[in-house]
Amino acid sequence: MRPGGELATRPLHFIWIADCSGSMAIDGKIQSLNTAIKEAIPHMQDVADENPNAQVLVRAVRFSDGAQWHVSQPTDIADFKWDDLDAGGVTAMGKALSIVADQLRIPPMDERALPPVLVLISDGQPTDDFSGGLQLLMNEPWGRKAVRIAIAIGEDADQEVLKKFIANPELRPLQANNPESLIKYIRWVSTAVLKSASSPASQSVAASATGLNVPIPALPDATGPSADDVW
Amino acid sequence: MSRANDRRRWQAAGASVRGAAHERSGMPNQDAIQWTGNGSSLVLAVADGHGSARYPRSHIGATIAVKTATQLVHEFVLGQTDVENLSLIKRAAEEWLPHAIVRAWREGVEEHLNANPLSEVELDALRNDTLSQAYGATILTVAVSERFILYLQLGDGEILTVTDQGTVSKPLIKDERLFANETTSLCTAEAWSDFRISFQAITNEHPALILLATDGYPNSFRDQAGFLKVGSDILEMIRTAGLGHVQDSLEGWLLDSTRAGSGDDVTVGILCYPQITQIK
Repeated sequence: MRPGGELATRPLHFIWIADCSGSMAIDGKIQSLNTAIKEAIPHMQDVADENPNAQVLVRAVRFSDGAQWHVSQPTDIADFKWDDLDAGGVTAMGKALSIVADQLRIPPMDERALPPVLVLISDGQPTDDFSGGLQLLMNEPWGRKAVRIAIAIGEDADQEVLKKFIANPELRPLQANNPESLIKYIRWVSTAVLKSASSPASQSVAASATGLNVPIPALPDATGPSADDVW
Repeated sequence: MSRANDRRRWQAAGASVRGAAHERSGMPNQDAIQWTGNGSSLVLAVADGHGSARYPRSHIGATIAVKTATQLVHEFVLGQTDVENLSLIKRAAEEWLPHAIVRAWREGVEEHLNANPLSEVELDALRNDTLSQAYGATILTVAVSERFILYLQLGDGEILTVTDQGTVSKPLIKDERLFANETTSLCTAEAWSDFRISFQAITNEHPALILLATDGYPNSFRDQAGFLKVGSDILEMIRTAGLGHVQDSLEGWLLDSTRAGSGDDVTVGILCYPQITQIK
């Protein structure tokens, strides 16, 4: 007989935070986002299979006139399915961050969890209290320690706001100006970033104060403006 | 195991296993464990090397840590001639040992570096940090003697005490900075200031069992209660089957825990008091 209570792998919460404002309906952005996330799911499942000591749990938030959980229950990636988002309304990004902050409290979060991965995807500027929402997120220990990735869709995305969300000079927002680059970035965060977050080694408090607490893998090739840009 | 020989003598057991994740990646076990002493005074230490690319020799750093800490703390315990003056011993432990442990660890690292200079790849991984960062590790040490118990911890991991009645508690205050995958470390500039220390004078009662674990072990349980239960369960197992059974079984238990739990390296050290080692 083994001593102690029930053994369990460590949860890794992965949360999509998706802009569903009216502008996302223009030039097929929202359809491209839906396609990119759907295509990424099997690759996320592969990454999860490679590391059975991390339980990858996925959720999604949508924001437009307000913010709601699109997938509210932390869902094992093996069972995760993506229902298409639609677009319409303004850009309540601050509200989206605040409802994520609510779920990153301890409890319901567990101290033994792996650092969560938050992926913010937006094509515009917040129309609500972004700073207030970000503050609520960063007030939570797991908000501060989360791997925060931002993807800017098109030239109108507010880079400064996305940089504030990332809050680390070593990491910049990923700029997607066409469906192919959006797929590439979604794939990168779903695989390389997820893999890194699922087995982070320890590091000293002093080192993490000046850098990232989870090593971020090399970014996919950054391409400059091209003839394929549609956003 | 002889009752007569065991009376009023502390005993130690322990094991360390490579994590399931490190088995998959081919990395070595980054943890280390060592104990020394003769029963009337016994010192046990476990250490956890940080393991990421920025700490390419942390498995060696952990080995140096347990070796230097057990040796130094044991010498400290043996050197206390005025055992009636416990307040003086407590003060000396709190003020001197953290500095001395860090200094001894750095000397051990320096010695290893001189014999084995860092490669270009290792230097690149360090960025602009000090060379000793390559060896970054935690250190948890417990010294037991006839008059006092000393608990010292720098970095993550857990120390549990278990009373004769099976009540499990933690002798050290929580360090709120030890969250996510971040830890205090022997390799930082003022590491001595990050030690947590507790001094327990032995009067009528003392723990029946003390357990030291690197963080891969508590992280393998679904909740904190499940980990705390290890303390009372092992005490009961020692009472019913003996410390030898626990020692023989420990590696298997730890392998189960890393495979079904955290995937991290797992190390557990046990100090138990003679009265409980007598097999019923």
